[in-house]
Amino acid sequence: MEEKERQEEEKNSINNKVWSWGAGTEGQLGTTKLQDENHPQLIHYLSFTPKHISYLACGGAHVIALSREDGKVLSWGRGTSGQLGHGDMKNCLYPFPVKCLESFVVSYVSAGWNHSGFVSNTGRVLTCGDGTFGQLGHGDFQSQCLPIEVMYFRSRHVEQITCGMRHTLVLLKGNSGDALYGFGSGKRGQLGTSMDMITKSLNLPQVIFGFQQVNIARIIANGDQSAALTVDGHLYTWGKGFHGISDACLPLLPSSALKFTKVALGWNHALLLTDCGTVFMLGGNHHGMLSSPQKLRLKTCSSNQSTGCQGSEDDCRLSILEKVSGLDGIKAVDIAAGAEHSALVTGKTALLTIIVLLQRKLIPSSELLFLLLQKMER
Amino acid sequence: MSYDDVEIEDMEWNEELLAYTYPCPCGDLFQITKEELKIGEEIARCPSCSLYITVIYNMEDFMRDSNPNNKNNNLQQPIAVS
Repeated sequence: MEEKERQEEEKNSINNKVWSWGAGTEGQLGTTKLQDENHPQLIHYLSFTPKHISYLACGGAHVIALSREDGKVLSWGRGTSGQLGHGDMKNCLYPFPVKCLESFVVSYVSAGWNHSGFVSNTGRVLTCGDGTFGQLGHGDFQSQCLPIEVMYFRSRHVEQITCGMRHTLVLLKGNSGDALYGFGSGKRGQLGTSMDMITKSLNLPQVIFGFQQVNIARIIANGDQSAALTVDGHLYTWGKGFHGISDACLPLLPSSALKFTKVALGWNHALLLTDCGTVFMLGGNHHGMLSSPQKLRLKTCSSNQSTGCQGSEDDCRLSILEKVSGLDGIKAVDIAAGAEHSALVTGKTALLTIIVLLQRKLIPSSELLFLLLQKMER
Repeated sequence: MSYDDVEIEDMEWNEELLAYTYPCPCGDLFQITKEELKIGEEIARCPSCSLYITVIYNMEDFMRDSNPNNKNNNLQQPIAVS
């Protein structure tokens, strides 16, 4: 029996590997070294690794790894705001369990610039890290070095959390439909809770209007941007405008016939994956051309018919959705975005990384980027 | 090219670095000191990569702030006498 378990463990450890590369000076590569890496480095888990890491959330300079199999969480990297949830304000150079969460079965995690969010399988939501902008949702502006439950949602069932640079979004599923909440900084409209830009930060969750009749599959925040992907494949975006477009303080629905299955947000761009495996991008020109010059111009409008969003001057803004060039005939199965770089996974084993050029000089991958072998084999 | 234009109100004062900071996409922080702001410097640099941002601020705010001899800075608050 023991032998069988050992073999099983060995099998898992072979299949379940994590590599890291890019910026590493805060320990975010998990390699125990404080240096940038230009090539993928295999992370050696140490003994307390969960059986099967299935999801990685990369923040400003920290990582949260989730094992969906047993609901356990590891974190590493920058911890100076308490974002690792280890109970201190120190960096950690290798994967280390978030012991405070051991009484929970964690089902969803997110890493922001310097804060972190966790959702348990019972719908509880906990946050830790930098709270300067109220992004922890505890009703104050304190930072926390241990995950603390967001009491506002005590009697509700939280499904997802997503952390941006200075804000957080939370998705609730209920009998009366989906509900989306935002808290933290709303200076660029990223909370979506008000018609006007909020100059004051919100330290308690506030509902985002317009999603009562919409079934949301996924919420995504990064930088000062927010997005929600519906079950039907429609994408809503709000917050900092993509390249050259004004900020939007309410969720906007591009009037596109395309259906998307996945969305990844950077600080100035969004990657979108269609069910046919085609990759599109919004706002990709900020730091170098990733896309084809053949632009598909789409009018972005408030979908006041279907969602109840109020129309605004943003109705006439033009969002440029571009098909990412150079991928003809290549089907993508997964997409990922750092602050200013993008990556996608094609087919079963091939990995294609697209690095955005910055000032004609390649800088180390902005946020770190990891890929799971499992993910590629899926 | 400047990565972004950032207003000083959106930057955070970092007590350890003694500088105003703003997140850099590389994971580190753009930084600028009060002394730099005082002399009109508007570029905040990231120590870890080649990026920099342009800081939007009013230079006079910092000239007053850092010069205790400047009488304008030490405007006497009216004292309430009961």
